[in-house]
Amino acid sequence: MRLICLLFSIVSLSGCYQNKALTQNTLIYCTDSQPTSFNPQISDDIASLDATTHQIFSRLVKIDSKTNEFVPDLAKSWERSDDKLRYRFTLRNNISFHETDYFKPTRFLNADDVLFSFNRMLDVTSPYHTVNNQSVNYFYNHPFTNLLSAINKIDEDTVEFVLSKPDVTLIANLAAHYAVIHSKEYSEQLLKEGHPEKIDFQPIGTGPFKFKSFDNNSTIRYTKNDLYWQSMTNIENLIFFTNPSATKRYTKLLSGECDAISYPAASQLETISHNKNITLNSKSTANISLWAFNTQQDKLKDPKIRQALAQAVDTETILNAVYFQSAIQTETLLSKQSWALKPRFDNDLFNPEQAEQTLKDRHFDFSQTLRILLPDGADVFNPNFHKTAELIQANLAAVGVKSRIESLNEIALKAELDSGDYDTYLTGINVHINDPDSIFRPLLSCNSTPETGNSSQWCSVNTQVLLDQSLTESNFAQRIKNYYHIQDEVFSQRPYLPIAHVLRLDAISKSILNVEVNPLTGINFQNAIKQDLN
Amino acid sequence: MLSFLIRRLNLLLITALILTIIAFIIDRTVTISHAMATLDDRNYIAQYFSYLWQIINGNFGYSSIDQHGLLKRGLVFFASTLELCFVALLFSSLMAIPLGLLAGLFRNTKLDYMIMTIAIVGLALPVFWVGVMAILLPSIGGDILPVDGNLSLVYDIPVVTGFLLIDTLLVTQQYGVFAFIDRVAHLILPALVLSFFLIAEIVRLTRHSMTMVMRSNYIQTAYAKGFSRTKIVFTHALKNALPPIIPQLRLQLSTILSFAMTIEIVFNLNGIGKWLFISLKSGDYLVLPAGMLIISGFILIFSIATEIFMVLISPLRRGSLYVDK
Repeated sequence: MRLICLLFSIVSLSGCYQNKALTQNTLIYCTDSQPTSFNPQISDDIASLDATTHQIFSRLVKIDSKTNEFVPDLAKSWERSDDKLRYRFTLRNNISFHETDYFKPTRFLNADDVLFSFNRMLDVTSPYHTVNNQSVNYFYNHPFTNLLSAINKIDEDTVEFVLSKPDVTLIANLAAHYAVIHSKEYSEQLLKEGHPEKIDFQPIGTGPFKFKSFDNNSTIRYTKNDLYWQSMTNIENLIFFTNPSATKRYTKLLSGECDAISYPAASQLETISHNKNITLNSKSTANISLWAFNTQQDKLKDPKIRQALAQAVDTETILNAVYFQSAIQTETLLSKQSWALKPRFDNDLFNPEQAEQTLKDRHFDFSQTLRILLPDGADVFNPNFHKTAELIQANLAAVGVKSRIESLNEIALKAELDSGDYDTYLTGINVHINDPDSIFRPLLSCNSTPETGNSSQWCSVNTQVLLDQSLTESNFAQRIKNYYHIQDEVFSQRPYLPIAHVLRLDAISKSILNVEVNPLTGINFQNAIKQDLN
Repeated sequence: MLSFLIRRLNLLLITALILTIIAFIIDRTVTISHAMATLDDRNYIAQYFSYLWQIINGNFGYSSIDQHGLLKRGLVFFASTLELCFVALLFSSLMAIPLGLLAGLFRNTKLDYMIMTIAIVGLALPVFWVGVMAILLPSIGGDILPVDGNLSLVYDIPVVTGFLLIDTLLVTQQYGVFAFIDRVAHLILPALVLSFFLIAEIVRLTRHSMTMVMRSNYIQTAYAKGFSRTKIVFTHALKNALPPIIPQLRLQLSTILSFAMTIEIVFNLNGIGKWLFISLKSGDYLVLPAGMLIISGFILIFSIATEIFMVLISPLRRGSLYVDK
């Protein structure tokens, strides 16, 4: 009897446990990982970008999501000098920074804020240059160092960017995630308080949402910025919730506890596509999943052996078994969208017989065991590392190579990579700007460590020279040629076996409209509308 | 009375000291291997006493990830775990005590066998597995109950007591009772799963205790007096059958807590189990001694408190107040 009573009360409870009035103007986005900071200038992981770029901050220029053209954002307009070296930006008037519990702006945005934001990255004497950035971070100021020679304040509303040489990528760089505008006034307040590091964890920007809290339950709360200069939608509260389990995220999406989820599991895509209440948003990215060979390891020093091992692996099966429809098979490091991609038409990419023959010819020691390192859990560029490794292991066994899978947690993995004593590593890389350098440099530069991307410990003078030359090369055709050379070298030397280019996937409830996803700068809820479907 | 209290507190102190030694050892091995703390060149005994002094002052150290005080954070999480345990205990008592009494009354009948079968199945099923199965339930029967998290994210509840059932009632001005109802809805499934094990345990205990009571002489006398069975059960048997269960349940406390911690991970509840799990995963090992001290400290204090309580309510046990054994 009591059991019946209890069950009855549960059912009656369930009808009303969700409060309509409150959920109506709250949008909950469930993500797979937490941001590392709230400043896209210092963090370029996808979670940080999603949580900041479009929500909290604005840039001078942005990319129109429909036409893919650069349109003014904080800048009203811009003009280029005749010698193509000077860009003059006129700022919009009456733009207010966020008013929060911890900061009350006393003035509108002006040229000082723009200067402060860029000088933090470029000027080593800026008091904020080293804040939250103690270690030398190559990516921190890389996009602008070779580009800009000076940034000048002309008057309160005008800023001038002076280029070191004509370069059309300036506007693209100003529309990238790291070109967000911070408040100078807030930075001075923090300096006075003696906590400059807070600038990246209690952010102040000019975007449509203002930061409210980030608590230990991995929940980020934002509220609507009432002072935002553009019209806003009916979303009053924006919540980001982190749950690493894709199953849980999907359950919450179904039960209405999440309105949108990032990276649904590859295995769920089939069911999601059949669900009429959910839209699946997929964008191709340059993010790539790789199998890296440690070129410094004795047994893998011979490029022919690396090639043979790569030839032994059937990437198509991996794609079908692990990624389902969440990635595109690839033979190249660059994605199909890249202008520097050198097309390949090889058909013996998977050829176990030839691989075995080559290994025998090169006197590969079949008695040794090849270690395959991999992170435990999943990542955006690989939904199931272990399964991928098992497939590779089976492929290797077919050509007579013994291998051992070593699934390590973050700390153990870091230690292993730092020691440099590993054979192969199953990994991937996120790309943040649509430029070949942003993928080649972390993977192939001698200055890059296994931790920053160069997990094959590849260091060749030839590649390094080509990389550095292309960065400063003004002749576009020559630049492409250089990147073609690099791709040829990567193909012949085989430091990496590219497995797949991963799609950025978001499953969004049908009740939410106008969510924009930019594969490079992150998700944008500025124009999102929540409607009542019932 | 005083000597009894002293004896009990003495036990508490000694055990607590042993616990701090273990915590100290964990703390030192971890901090040294991670070079987090500045290395102390004093000997271990001196280090231990300064560690002990800090713990007595409530300073359990700071999280190496976000620099929050571990004690405060741990207690907030632990409150949420306790809440889960309490609700589960409530559920299971409501269901198990009547069942156990029935089984005891009708010992060795079909009813008894049926109840005991259910109880044994409950004991045999691993809690985390039941949890995973319970997560599937709402997806089969429509989205009836939430299966993940402490509370719907739309509610921003400030932490006052750490007990969300209370905290949600403190913000009724802002959210009405919706936040409270939402909290209850989130508790139902995990509490039911946790009570699964408890039901089995309580049914067994109640049945045993009831059988013992029904066999005792005073019940036989009551029968001889010609009282009806209902009257005997309700006025004589129940009163004597229930108190012996409490100290037995006390022994289960640590099991209940560890099951609750497992369930937190399954249902993604923010309790001390998930806190420890996540902190350890992200390399914040200092949480380990702090968490251990909080949990074991609670179990210690709780068990001594129940003992004192038992002495106060049960005439039989009151003997230990006066007898020095």
